[in-house]
Amino acid sequence: MELRKLDKSVLKLWYIRAAIVSLVLVGVFTSTAVILNATGASSNVTLSVLLGVGIPVALLLAITLIMPALCYKMYAWGYDDKRIIVKKGVIFKRRVVIPVCQIQDLHRTQGPLMMMLKLSGVTISTAGSNFDISTLTTEEADRMIDELESNLETRIEELKNEEI
Amino acid sequence: MKRFDKGYIYSSLLSDLFGSLVVVFIFLKDFFLDDESNPEDIIAAIPFFVVAFIVIYLCFIAYRILYYKTSGYELTENEIKCNRGVLFRKRSVLEYKKVHAINKKQNIFHRIFGIAVLTVDSGSTNTSHQAEITIIEKEKNVDALLNELNELKEGGVRNAESKQPKDELLLSDEDSLYRFTSGKKMLYTLINIASTAFFTALFAVLTIIVLGICKLMVQQSFLGTWGQYFLYAFLITVGAMLLFSIFSLIGCLIHSFVGYYKFKITRRGNDIQISYGLLEKHTNTFSYDRIKAVKITQGVVQRMLGFASIRLEVIGYLNNTGDDNKNADLGVLVPFCKYDEIGEILGKVLPDYVPDKKQTNAVSYFSFISWFALILGIILGVVLLQATIPMLIFNVSYTVIKTVAFAVAGAGATILVVKAVSAALGYQNNGIAINNGKITAYYGGFTKNVTVFMARNLIAAENVTTPLRKKRGITSLVMHLKTNALSNEVKVHIQNGVLSEELEKLLVL
Repeated sequence: MELRKLDKSVLKLWYIRAAIVSLVLVGVFTSTAVILNATGASSNVTLSVLLGVGIPVALLLAITLIMPALCYKMYAWGYDDKRIIVKKGVIFKRRVVIPVCQIQDLHRTQGPLMMMLKLSGVTISTAGSNFDISTLTTEEADRMIDELESNLETRIEELKNEEI
Repeated sequence: MKRFDKGYIYSSLLSDLFGSLVVVFIFLKDFFLDDESNPEDIIAAIPFFVVAFIVIYLCFIAYRILYYKTSGYELTENEIKCNRGVLFRKRSVLEYKKVHAINKKQNIFHRIFGIAVLTVDSGSTNTSHQAEITIIEKEKNVDALLNELNELKEGGVRNAESKQPKDELLLSDEDSLYRFTSGKKMLYTLINIASTAFFTALFAVLTIIVLGICKLMVQQSFLGTWGQYFLYAFLITVGAMLLFSIFSLIGCLIHSFVGYYKFKITRRGNDIQISYGLLEKHTNTFSYDRIKAVKITQGVVQRMLGFASIRLEVIGYLNNTGDDNKNADLGVLVPFCKYDEIGEILGKVLPDYVPDKKQTNAVSYFSFISWFALILGIILGVVLLQATIPMLIFNVSYTVIKTVAFAVAGAGATILVVKAVSAALGYQNNGIAINNGKITAYYGGFTKNVTVFMARNLIAAENVTTPLRKKRGITSLVMHLKTNALSNEVKVHIQNGVLSEELEKLLVL
């Protein structure tokens, strides 16, 4: 089965989210500096506190900005009439195989940003776990849900016949 | 539609009264019993409290009566129907053939009025937080219903002859396939306490070592004021943990002797029945083919002494907490037994679920600890930087900086030692056996787990690896089971990469 990459607009969505998180992190650092300045803290105290806040903020900022590109590069997904395969993970690479006949429900979800970019998330519910197909274009998500529903009905019929 | 037994109203009101009196005592004891309280104030306040209590209790009475009036159940030809709720009405319909588990529960207030609660569950994960059907009836009627529903879930259709409840005792005590004797209960309690004591002792020893190393390295006779504060804080923590051990001893004794009173497992045909409890009596019945997995667990102390507990994954059979709420805990099968006896016990109760011997082992020890050590190193590095740089800015003495640095390094080393031990145990535990459609997964570090399940209940297979591990053909397996949403993942770490392909072949595609 040939696995597909995510649409480029997904990377755009992930970078918008990363930018929002980065703004919050920079905001935390800036507000700490402003508060220290306003309270007239000595230069030693200011430097110590800013280093204390700055080191974790810088680390988190670096991770936030690098991760979308890496996640995008590593993500791959695909399905046929019998199974769905999802590959993901930057350091720990995961490969999940979900049989189509185990699907209980399929859900499509959209947040405000996703709606703007015409993207959707798909959740596959089974009799045990739920599996997320990160983010697809709405068109891809609808097509996937329709095809999986039809594949599911066919597989259940086939399995019933096999049992008989 | 038949209404619930009136005993429901009386038992609930008695339970509400008891609960209310406890709450009143907790919140008002200071006001009434405090030496500084003015007696005149107390006398003036009493009518107010009495009126408030009566008004609140009248609300309880109204609610219980309304619940009684609006709730009921009906057994039709093919299905069981149930209505309940006052503000939020719920109507449930469940076909007999879809019945997954039938549980009977009786708390002390129910027993006073001779009633019992019967919950019937379909096993749907959408409603896994509560049973579909709840029936509150006289105990003998509940027993008869339990018996009748057990037969109906096999046949699926209710005949005219089976409409009358039968006054029949389901099974005798002598049928029990496992006996949880007083001796076993005592040992079970002591081992649970020993686990807490073991970790308290481990914590104490490791902290003393860290303190000792710090003192030695800095070559000071005393750790200074901060060191003494740290020592006091440590002693208080150890004291609190010991106190916790004492409370757990009492809790565990009650749990073992009262909670598991008259514990018995019986099997009739395709049905398994597990009953236990003194103050709250449970009788859980489910079909053998509804079992999704059997989980054998050994804590550290249990492992050292060769004991284990066996739990069951059956949707709808869980340790109940409320009237019809269920937490995510697994259902108990055998609370406590010798590890060597597991094969014999399971052979009698669940012959298909006797665990097979491991066919594979973990292939690398280093992989169990490498990422943990790396992340721990980064965190410690950041902490060390954050601690030492401000001290350098403030010109703190070199000795203090060295002390802090050694303390951080010591704490890191301690965590690493604990992880190394856990990794060694994990290296020894992890493995898998696949035999005739039955999978036995061995996993866990300090706590050893063995999960036995059928390949038909495997709903997804996942493998987790890193680029380096992939090169060396190492992978971790995650098996998703068809069972309760919070306990459906079995993870077997650091195995040969070929296994993930074998596991995928077992999936029913």
